Amino acid sequence: MYEFITGFMFWLSLGVCLAGMLIRTVLYFRGLAWNLDRVAYKAYPKDGFNGAMRSIYKWLLPFGTHGWRKQPFMTVIFFCFHIGAVIVPLFLVAHNLFLEKKTGLSLFTINNSVADFLTWLVVASAILIVLRRIALPEVRIMTTWYDYLIILISVLPFITGLMARYEVGNYNFWLLAHILSGEILLLAIPFTKLSHVFLFFASRAQLGMDYGIKRGGLKGTKMAW
Amino acid sequence: MFKKILFATSATEASDHAARVAFNMATTLKAHINLFHVLGVPTRGFSQVVLDVKTKEKVEIDDEYIKWVEDEVKTYYANQLTDGIDASIKVAVGFPHREILRQAREIEPDLIVMGGSTGDESDSVYKATTGSTLQRVAKAAQCPIMVVNRPAASFWGGMSSIVFGTDFSKASDKAFDFALKAAGELGCEMNIFHALDISSSHMGFTLSQDEIEERIRKAYRVIRSRYVSKMEKKSNFSMDVWEGIPYVEIVKYAREKHADLIIMAHNSRKLDGDAPKIGSNMEQVIVRAGCPVISINR
Amino acid sequence: MPEGIFCNKKPVETEEELTALLGDTSGTQYYKEMKELDVDSKLLWTTIQNTCKSRIRTWLEICAHCGMCADSCFLYLVNDRDPKQVPAYKIQSTLGEIVKRKGKVDNEFMRMAMETAWAKCTCCNRCGMYCPHGIDMGIMFGYLRGLLYQQGFVPWEMKIGAGMHRVYRAQMDVSEEEFVETFQWMVEEYEDDYVGLTVPVDVENADIMYTVNAREVKHYPEDLAEAAILFHAAGENWTIPSKGWELTSLAMFAGDWAACKMQVESVYEAMERLKPKRMIGTECGHAHRATVVEGPYWAGRKDGRPPVESIHYIEWLAEALREGKLKIDPSKRIKQPVTLQDSCNYVRNHGLRETAREIVSYIVEPGYFRDMSPRKEHNFCCGGGGGFNGIGLFRPQRNKGLITKRDQIIATGAELVLAPCHNCWDAIRDLEEEYEIGIKWSFLKPLVISMLELPDHMKPEE
Repeated sequence: MYEFITGFMFWLSLGVCLAGMLIRTVLYFRGLAWNLDRVAYKAYPKDGFNGAMRSIYKWLLPFGTHGWRKQPFMTVIFFCFHIGAVIVPLFLVAHNLFLEKKTGLSLFTINNSVADFLTWLVVASAILIVLRRIALPEVRIMTTWYDYLIILISVLPFITGLMARYEVGNYNFWLLAHILSGEILLLAIPFTKLSHVFLFFASRAQLGMDYGIKRGGLKGTKMAW
Repeated sequence: MFKKILFATSATEASDHAARVAFNMATTLKAHINLFHVLGVPTRGFSQVVLDVKTKEKVEIDDEYIKWVEDEVKTYYANQLTDGIDASIKVAVGFPHREILRQAREIEPDLIVMGGSTGDESDSVYKATTGSTLQRVAKAAQCPIMVVNRPAASFWGGMSSIVFGTDFSKASDKAFDFALKAAGELGCEMNIFHALDISSSHMGFTLSQDEIEERIRKAYRVIRSRYVSKMEKKSNFSMDVWEGIPYVEIVKYAREKHADLIIMAHNSRKLDGDAPKIGSNMEQVIVRAGCPVISINR
Repeated sequence: MPEGIFCNKKPVETEEELTALLGDTSGTQYYKEMKELDVDSKLLWTTIQNTCKSRIRTWLEICAHCGMCADSCFLYLVNDRDPKQVPAYKIQSTLGEIVKRKGKVDNEFMRMAMETAWAKCTCCNRCGMYCPHGIDMGIMFGYLRGLLYQQGFVPWEMKIGAGMHRVYRAQMDVSEEEFVETFQWMVEEYEDDYVGLTVPVDVENADIMYTVNAREVKHYPEDLAEAAILFHAAGENWTIPSKGWELTSLAMFAGDWAACKMQVESVYEAMERLKPKRMIGTECGHAHRATVVEGPYWAGRKDGRPPVESIHYIEWLAEALREGKLKIDPSKRIKQPVTLQDSCNYVRNHGLRETAREIVSYIVEPGYFRDMSPRKEHNFCCGGGGGFNGIGLFRPQRNKGLITKRDQIIATGAELVLAPCHNCWDAIRDLEEEYEIGIKWSFLKPLVISMLELPDHMKPEE
């Protein structure tokens, strides 16, 4: 069982995730139509690129935009969630040991207590995000079971990871559950709303090009939104 | 001289005095009278909604509605629109001053007749100042504008006395030419009048009586050289120069002369935001005079 | 009755059809017929397949339903934070559903979508600036309007407006002759006060080709004279085209893309015919967006630009004041609290956020200018954009929408609002009529003229 999910399943989910992301990103940019979108992407590559980069950069900065500054609570839980959700899976020592065993490669790693802290932060933020969804009418109205499912898929690896980390009950059970939920997450990325892990950059880049080319960029106005 | 009269009417009481004069003139002078009514001001951007100036309601304009308003105007003036009269009716939508000017440009009347104010007569706001429609039309029109604000004592038919008020401006010279022609055509007395403005707010200091009289003498000299020289053929005329607040003096003078008509030039043609001003003298005369007032612009 | 006499899928193409449609007062029969109008699901789905590409599909897909766009929408704020006014909800429940159901939606759904597209969104694009994913719901509503227009589910005035452009190449029934004739009339009316005033018609190779809004010609032609005065005072070599003079596009509000193309092409033809150095449009926001920002794409111009450099009136005015072509008498500058309405269509959508402020620095006595909050590209829509001002059916919603701008203006304490945009100007006028807050509002032209130091050659002899 362990062999299967760390072997075939691991390769399958990682492969599907990476290939899926690649294919979808390519399809996204190929699907941009200058005449339908009404943005002359190709005519001004430099302005478009600058606009895209500015747009992505500003939104990756906590409180970097009016949008973030307008909603400080959301901004804090959003960044707490996402910082942990990106850093821990990639840079956890245990993950990199596993990766090295599999591929011979490993990334930079973070201190375990930092990882613990970030993981708790992810779980706590996820709970707050769910509570926000329930509490605010303007969010509740749009929320469907699908949104909760996505949150569940994204948080499950962190919860099971914590269970395994603190060896609550059966360690092997939690470890298997952790690996399995992680693989489900990888598989879900290209096919669900989780595609935003890469399409966020694509979509932001598109709007950045729009502003960088059409909406004032060529006039030298850099909208710091 | 008056073959075509454009009577811009609100088809309400506000225009009644003007209507009486306008129809009277049309009858006695055998002139064509064009009844022109602007039914509403467009509102709401490009929508079809207009504010009906009479009912103050928002209505949607279509051909039917326009026809209906035309009938309303016809009904309102049923008594005056007798067989003998050569009249036409036109109803338009837009800002009144602009539409009146547009119509004037189209039919090129010899005279535009208007009421002194539009809107509710009992409304003190309308009484105190003349409507801005009048101001704007007076500013831009190519022909003389006759304003009838108060019930006129006698009408064109029995016209015997014209008062021409002058401030010796260039525009006043134009007004004089017109007044002279009108007096000749209508065979009535011409009274040339100048008021020496001694209101301290205007002068900033008080004049001695000697100075006043010196100035009056000077004004008489100007009248003689500028106007009387042009009136060789005219015998029944008079001239006077009084001191005081000009608009009060003109109104007083007109009353004394039993004037049937006051003719003045209106000088100020500057745009002033939303409410262009006719020279305030003109405005005051219009509000106060007991007879029609003609304003000449060019 | 699937296709009505007035309400159908066919655009208005002739003067007779236009007159007939106008004759249906308030669109009474039109809206009655709309209740019976069939949805052509096949056409709808084919169109979506052909035109809804990765940008919009991705937007619809990755929307996290986080609700961060809610506060960015003035209609959400002003309608007591009604969750149904959240931009993401509005687009997901309309366009999102249509895509999800592959076009299989019914008449009732389409009428709901129509109300959402025209009465719950002014396409001001503000929400797009507040979405972490960069989802611009204003753009999607524009797209949705196109789908609804194609199916005949479009407000009566919008169908008429688009028809006007198709028939007259203008938003109102103003012919080419009437335009030139009115311009000449205005110049004549003002030439006594401004010596030498003329209107050069169809002059080739001029420095400036000036285009206008048909409403100026129809209802307040003073604006034309004012434009002439300022060009003349600035010593510009300018001209108007007798054909292709209409800058606006109600077709854009209607989502009638074919008419949009016809309209801008008429202006571009004038540019190509007269070869001016620059085109300058009047003080209108959506018109600038239609002809300068979006127009090149409708006309299939790959560089996204009109045939000649085209600028907004405020850009020219700022330049003329900066370079001293127009001189202001400092003693006549505005000396009352004054604020500025930033138009979404050329500020958020074309980056002109400093231009009008530069003009303010020349024409307002220091200390009297009060900025709105929020301002510049974050300013709220006037409340009447995107066609909202003109749609009778949605008047109550529009009047409610004006409250945002009313309160913004009140908060500045300004007595005068500079509104260099026809739509904003109308909306502010209407809000004063509706709520009476005692303000004045104005385009820039008359204000600048009132404080202008006329060059000697233009002064009338005294």
